[in-house]
This record gives sequence, structure tokens and C-alpha cells, in this order.
Amino acid sequence: MDKIFNSVDLIPEIQWVIAIILMILVFATILFWIWNKISPSKLVDEMQIRTRSWWVMCFIFLFASLINPVVTYIALGFLSFFTLREIYSLLNLRDMDRFVLFFCYICIPIQYYLAFKGYYTLFLIFIPVFMFIIIPFLLVLTGETKDIIRSMCILPTSLMLGVFGISHLALLISFPEMNSNGVSGKALLLFLIFITEANDIMQFVWGKIFGKTKILPNVSPNKTWEGFIGGVLSTTVIGYFMGFLTPLSSLQLILISPSIAILGFMGDAILSAVKRDFGVKDMSNAIPGHGGILDRVDSLSTTASPFFHIIYFIIIMS
Amino acid sequence: MKKIILIIIYTLFWRNFLRIFIGLKYFNNKSLRNIKQFILIANHNSHMDTMALMSAIPSRFIHRVHPIAARDFFGGSLFSRILMRYLVNATLIRRDREDPERDPIDDMDKMLKKQRSLILYPEGSRGIPGKMSNFKRGLGYLVQRNPNIKVIPVYLENIYKTLPKGKKLILPYNCSIKFGQPIKFNSLDMEDILETAEKEILKIKES
Repeated sequence: MDKIFNSVDLIPEIQWVIAIILMILVFATILFWIWNKISPSKLVDEMQIRTRSWWVMCFIFLFASLINPVVTYIALGFLSFFTLREIYSLLNLRDMDRFVLFFCYICIPIQYYLAFKGYYTLFLIFIPVFMFIIIPFLLVLTGETKDIIRSMCILPTSLMLGVFGISHLALLISFPEMNSNGVSGKALLLFLIFITEANDIMQFVWGKIFGKTKILPNVSPNKTWEGFIGGVLSTTVIGYFMGFLTPLSSLQLILISPSIAILGFMGDAILSAVKRDFGVKDMSNAIPGHGGILDRVDSLSTTASPFFHIIYFIIIMS
Repeated sequence: MKKIILIIIYTLFWRNFLRIFIGLKYFNNKSLRNIKQFILIANHNSHMDTMALMSAIPSRFIHRVHPIAARDFFGGSLFSRILMRYLVNATLIRRDREDPERDPIDDMDKMLKKQRSLILYPEGSRGIPGKMSNFKRGLGYLVQRNPNIKVIPVYLENIYKTLPKGKKLILPYNCSIKFGQPIKFNSLDMEDILETAEKEILKIKES
């Protein structure tokens, strides 16, 4: 027990963020509770379910990310695993792909082990280079060429979406350059997740209140220009004030926060298109009110790796 | 002793393994707690079905629940017979009717008379993936002889995808096991019983 907890060193900045998160949750819970008392509607009901899920997710996340790096790695590995499982459960793959799917699942521990050890180059090329060659070849070994291109595209892409992006969150924690000279990987992780999720929420809120003009009418009816622009602007403001978690200057923060917002929007849109293709609204019903796990981490899977490399570049440069 | 082994295998190992790694969700399995003796009937497409059903049963009386298995398929050698008996808690029945005196229905009936519960796949075999075939008459005979024992329909959704027929690799797949309410049979007519049972399972599927 001692061993687990003696690496908990919460710097004051992180304590601040925990306080902010809890305050937002309490505020949202009370707001929707009162709102439901005054004028009950279906929307408020859904909001209450969503808020309840946020409580659970926040506590799991804070527990997993702050206790011990090993716990964080295992938790993130499971997150990747659940994401992959959700994708494969939805996409009706061929029966002979099962043996290749097994290798896709094996990639998760390998990728996180590489992150844990900090083998930076190997970590970067393991999925985009090796797996993009090995998985199509393994599919060829099954000997059935009908519909093989579908599997060849889906399997490596699912690894990019579910494993490669999310594993950068793990790399933030243990990467040596990220944890020296007054920079804390945990704080960066908190910053990234806070900004990405705040962007999701803000786009949702702005879209619900002012949304009129659809950006992608054929893909997702919920995405509007008003929601998008309002989301990007408010994310920039939030990012600016949360900047105390990062070593970035004000100018850098003002440039990076909107890019994260736009990247998050891209991830959301990509997954929306996939869901539309398969005729489902949510990936699964794993999180009440939110849909599947991938519905929540879709934007993280596109923001994590660019954010990591931007920060890495800035740290190396300075 | 047998109870402890079964609890370790199913309540501790399989239940957690299925939940965390395979992605199985349990619906309404708490309703079994208050029922003393029952016959579970479920659709059957994979060997995982039995593992899922056994892991859903409350540990208090898990040793009194017996899946029904075919002796010609599972009881090939002494070793597998012992495994089936102690690790799956199965009752092996003879389908081949080598011994005309011995009716497999009698074997099951005897278990019910001993206050045991049964897990029965009325389709008889695993059949075509994802499809329910017609029910065999064995269930009807059992209900006719024991009209007071509760028959509980169970729908196993997508569990066959984790271990399809003919494959050896168990893979994760989001699936669920849904328990229904005990079936009320209007009459003890054979056709009627089978039809009601089939309808009840399909009803859970659609709910």
C-alpha cells in the first residue's frame, strides 16, 4: 500500500485543477437538479444522466491518473482495450479475421510497454509502420481474399484510433523530457484531457443554445457552425486560464488551445461519419447518457498525439 | 467441496473474466435469487453459453444447477467425463438410445425430483450461428411431468461471437445475457409448450 501511495506528489497546480473539476461537477449537478424541479423535460433528464456519468468518469480518471504511473498505464491500456472491443463488436468482421484480431489486442500491451520504457522511436513507429505491414500480411495468411480490403483498412485504422492516439497520454506521464525542469507530465495530461473534454462540452452547449447552420448536414445533424466557433473560442479562453498547468507562454497557449479544439472536432466528425455508415447513433451503451466509450474518447484519440509532439517540440526548442 | 470449486471457477473466475475481458453484460440475473428450483432454457450457439449461464447463477445454490450435455459429444473419455462432472457440474445424457430401457428424459426427471435445477438448450445443438432452430420435444415432456417447476427463459445475445462453432480462440465481443420472467403455460399440450417457450425467448430478444 505504501508503495502505491508514496509516489503521489500532488503539486499545488494539480490540486487546483481537482478543486475546479469538483466545483464544476457540483455546480452542474445542482443546476440540473433545480432546472428539473422548475421545468422537467427530456433534455434535462438526459443532462442529469450525463452529469452522473461525468462524476463516475472523473473519479475513475483522477484516481487512475494521480495515484501511480503503473496504475495509469494499466487503466489507459484498458481504455484502449474497451475501445477496440467496441469497434470490433460493431463492424461485423469476417470469421477468419478472428485470428488477426487477436494480434490487434496483443498490440495494446506492447504499445503501452514501449511507452512505459520510454522507447520513443519504437513507440512511434510500432503501429504506423510495423503493424500497418504485419496486419495486412496476417490477413493474407488467412487465405480468403473476398472482402479482404475492408479488413485490411479497418484493423490498422482501429489501432490508430484506439491504441496509438490514446497511448500518447501514457507517454506524457513517463517521458523524461516531460518531467524535468519544472514540467510535470501529470499536469500536462490533466491539461490535455481538461481542454479536450471542455471543448466537447462547449461545442455541445453552444450548439444546443445557438445552433442553426449545420457544418456537415450529411454526417452529423448535431454539429453546427455556431457550436463549432463558440466551442473553439471558449476552449481558447479556458486553455488560457488553465495554462498554469503547462510550461507554455501566453501566446503559445492562445495558439495551441484552438488547435486542440479543432483537432477534437475532427475526431468527433470522423467517428460520426463511421457511426452513420453503420447506421447506429452510439457505439454501444457502456456509459449512460454518453453512448459508448469511443463516443467519449474519439476527440482524445486525435488530440493526444499532436499535443504531445507540440509540447515535445517546444521543450526541445527552449 | 464441489460447491467451493464451482464458486471459485464460475463466480470468481468466469464472471469477472466475462465481464471485464469479454464484455458480457448481465441483465436481471438477480431475479434468480428467490427461486428455489428452476429450468433455464436458452438459445444455444456456442460453448461459451454454458459458461455465461453458470457464471450468472447466484453462488448460494450453484452446486444444485446442472447443465444438460450430450454424453456422445462431451463424455468421450473418462477424463472429459470427470471434467464435465466436477468442473461444469453437468449431467450427461445419452442421446443415442443404445439402451431402449433408459430414456434420457427419465434422467433429467430424476434430477428434478432430487430438487436440482437444470440448464437446458431446447434447440438440442449449437446449430447455425445467430439463428434459433426449432425446439426439441424434451422440454415439453419435462414440463408435462413437472408442471410446478418454474421455467425461466434466457436470451444470450451475441455470445456465440466470442467463440463461434468450430473455432478455438476466445475473443472479446460486447454481448449480453438477459433473464426473463418465469413462463406461464396455458396448457400442457406439447405443441403449446414449445411454442410458448420459443415465443418467450424471442420476446426477451426484442425487449
